[in-house]
Amino acid sequence: MNRAIRRLSVVGLAMILLLMININYLQVFRVNTLAAEPFNARIYSEQFKIWRGEIVAAGDESNGGPGMVIARSKQLKGGIFKRVYPAGRVYAPVTGYDSIYATTSPYGITGIEKSENKFLTGTAPSLAVYNLKGLFTGKPKQGASIYLTISPKAQAAAYQALATMGKPAGAVAINPRTGAILALASYPTFDPNALATQNGTKFNKVDKRIVSDPAQPLLNRAINVTFPPGSSFKLITSSTAFATGKVANQNSTIPAPRAYLLPGSHSYLYNDAGAPCGNGHPTILYALTVSCNTAFAKLGDTVGGSALYRMARAFGFNNSRLTIPLPVTASAYPKLTDPAQIAQSAIGQFNDTETPLQEAMVAATIANGGVTMRPYLVQQIKAPDQSTVQTAQPTALGTPISSSQASYLTAMMLSVTHNSGGTAYLTAGPPATSIAIAGKTGTAQNGVNNSHLDDAVFTCFAPAGNPKIAVGVIVKGGGFGADAAAPIALKIIQAYLGQQ
Amino acid sequence: MTAVPNMEAFPRRAAPHRAVPLPRGRRRTELAMLCFAVAIMAFAYAAAGLGMSGHIPSGLVVYVFGFAVLMAGAHLTVRRFAPWADPLMLPLAALLNGLGIVMIYRLQEAGRGGNPGVVISTLTSHAALYQLMWTALGTIAFVAVLVVIREPRILQRYTYTLGTIGLILLAMPALLPSSISAVPGTGAKIQIALGGFSFQPEEFAKLGLAVFFAGYLVAKRDVLSLAGRRFLGIDLPRARDLGPILVLWVISMLVLIFESDIGTSALFFGLFVAMLYIATQRKSWLLIGVSLFVSGSLLLGAVVPHVHERFAIWLHPFAPSFIQGSSYQLVQGLEGMAFGGVLGTGLGLGQPYRTPLVQSDFIFTGFGEELGLTGLMALLLIFGLLVQRGLRAAVAVRDPFAKLLAAGLAFVIALQLFIIVGGVTQLIPLTGITTPFLSQGGSSLVATWMVIALLMRVSDTARRPAPQPIQDEGLTQVVRAG
Repeated sequence: MNRAIRRLSVVGLAMILLLMININYLQVFRVNTLAAEPFNARIYSEQFKIWRGEIVAAGDESNGGPGMVIARSKQLKGGIFKRVYPAGRVYAPVTGYDSIYATTSPYGITGIEKSENKFLTGTAPSLAVYNLKGLFTGKPKQGASIYLTISPKAQAAAYQALATMGKPAGAVAINPRTGAILALASYPTFDPNALATQNGTKFNKVDKRIVSDPAQPLLNRAINVTFPPGSSFKLITSSTAFATGKVANQNSTIPAPRAYLLPGSHSYLYNDAGAPCGNGHPTILYALTVSCNTAFAKLGDTVGGSALYRMARAFGFNNSRLTIPLPVTASAYPKLTDPAQIAQSAIGQFNDTETPLQEAMVAATIANGGVTMRPYLVQQIKAPDQSTVQTAQPTALGTPISSSQASYLTAMMLSVTHNSGGTAYLTAGPPATSIAIAGKTGTAQNGVNNSHLDDAVFTCFAPAGNPKIAVGVIVKGGGFGADAAAPIALKIIQAYLGQQ
Repeated sequence: MTAVPNMEAFPRRAAPHRAVPLPRGRRRTELAMLCFAVAIMAFAYAAAGLGMSGHIPSGLVVYVFGFAVLMAGAHLTVRRFAPWADPLMLPLAALLNGLGIVMIYRLQEAGRGGNPGVVISTLTSHAALYQLMWTALGTIAFVAVLVVIREPRILQRYTYTLGTIGLILLAMPALLPSSISAVPGTGAKIQIALGGFSFQPEEFAKLGLAVFFAGYLVAKRDVLSLAGRRFLGIDLPRARDLGPILVLWVISMLVLIFESDIGTSALFFGLFVAMLYIATQRKSWLLIGVSLFVSGSLLLGAVVPHVHERFAIWLHPFAPSFIQGSSYQLVQGLEGMAFGGVLGTGLGLGQPYRTPLVQSDFIFTGFGEELGLTGLMALLLIFGLLVQRGLRAAVAVRDPFAKLLAAGLAFVIALQLFIIVGGVTQLIPLTGITTPFLSQGGSSLVATWMVIALLMRVSDTARRPAPQPIQDEGLTQVVRAG
């Protein structure tokens, strides 16, 4: 019988071995899948025990002071944490929110809270060494803090200006030299504190109200909503004209008929209010100063659809993979073959759309001598012991135009604000400020048969001689770009440069 | 056998005049290992308290001292009544039992007295104390078995008596009304609950039937191992000898139908088939047995809704129609183990209270969550060692009845572990049976202690040196009667 017992003992051992293999599979390889199960109560409750790191806006550059905390975790009774956003709505499009459904719903967490979640929770692989140290010193484990490029002054000014305007709008300011985002504001917006509640019933009530609000406060209008660029697109048409050699410099003349027959069609395009454009052969500088539609539509036809497409793409259009690290909706310039459509697209009509961020990137590229810098929000990531985990390295996305071409465009944009006939002379020129702002307005028709109010667009940078800030503002239904968008841009620039 | 004589095997002949060294009982080893087991229990108990509330629980002394006294009593009994028994079995059993008490204490404290978590509604605030009391009863049963049964073969006389008692115990819950025998929340009818106390007769039925199988098979094994026709290279038994296995199969299927308990029926049938195989050494019995059980369960799975659902849950636990209902418990257990990961959360720091009935059928997932993969591997190794020690005793003992009994009892520990741990880890369909020594519940604990006592008795018989023949015949004098 002993042989049978020995064989049976092998069976017994094999059963235990099978259990071991299965448990290894379960507790090593199935961990992530099981953690991601939508009803995983442990993961759900565990999130409240995590001491998330802070999100900090940049310090005041002049005194190098500490940054302004815009999201932090407050410890409650029972060792759980609650997320607090001291500046609430002002920074909502940047911070996003971290709700009780962060682990169970794709909309449970947004913004920097989502994109830097691994660092904030301390689970990023690069924090392993720090965490290991904490294991031995017995310090409570806190996540890393995210230091942003956002300038509190510019951000506050941007939000205040948008809120005062009271229309759906987005504004972005960039440091043109680095791509560091200085302000990123959206209106209307929401209070992330309301969504950070740990009371499920309360959350559902707030969530229902916000989601069903026709004003759509959760939309990030700075980076995730696209608007027609209108006349501001003429900067790209001009760039294409310089780059293709069709126009030599800002003082070269271009044809500007009073009425332009769209090629291959029977419809005419006019200037605003049917006005003439100089003597019909203005310099490109003058055409941009007064924003002639006929001149740039014809110029678009001259340079061609594919050249415009390439130039728009070089400026950042049609890039659906851009993250700052928040995912940015692609601005669109379609590939066109119909000459009439190309002519319309050259003045920012037809199917062109862009985000305020893209608008700011155009100005920033011109300000930076033709080099587009990758926009970014995160300057630094620091472990709780203040050791730096990661520091931003400014990188170029591309060089759509040469530095001399950039200087032509700068001269043209300065004329927009400094020529008494320029579209932004009164709102962003000497009558309004002593800062040398180089800008371009845009007033985009939209809606079926242009039935809606025009969208107001303004893109600019300042100071023109030594650019420190580039701004893109779009106000939906704002009317003329110069009236609605330019004052907002001016307020952001003034706040950032510390001048009135 | 080789032709060359192995000198190592005959040391006594090489030195006939030297005193014969007696094989050692190794009771001191047992005592040292037992102290180690109690120490682990004490540290685990302290760790659970520290994990939950940040300070060492006040009951530590009572629990550890009480447990240590019980184990010391068991050890002294072994010294007196089974001095040659395997020295590892008692410490291994003590370690498992101690860790079980700690886990039940940890679960009972969840959500109570300001501790994190939710109170487990099916667990009273003195469950751990009860478990300690049941451990005391288990130890008494252990001592009683060792004291009363001095030789395994005593049991052979009661083959049919114990077999009948075993069958009655097995069938009792099925015959009693559901109000007494149904386990709340499981649909299984496997207990006898009267006045707040519940008793699971199947745990003891296991012992009675193991004795019966051993006695019966020792008597009939020659007949059962006769070969019938040969089919596919396997000698099939004669058709007329199929009777007993068919009877057992029918009984196990009846248990399955009337008590809704696949686990118990698999356990009994598996025990019988394993012992049948050992007795006859015919693989055909294994084959017939396993295929009978699998086809029987599949057939019942198609007919009985309760069994069918078990299969469906096993295959698709995360299906939306199950996850908030019938598979909730399994999913909670799996998620708990995943939450623990490789190292576990640490005792008192996980959320095992989220798994319904984690203190009984799912206690292994509780360990998995708080002690992690590391802890579970250790637990499985302890069980593996225990099983191997039991089978080793079976191999070593000469008496065929004791051999069969020990092999069957040791194997049933492995089988029971496989059924329940495999069930809660989604390796096989889940069927609710207790995890030996760990689960809350007195019947299982007492019965398992009795199994350990029987294995140690067999081991003692196997390792006991043969009585020394009287050496000096010169002293023998012939006395002539007047």
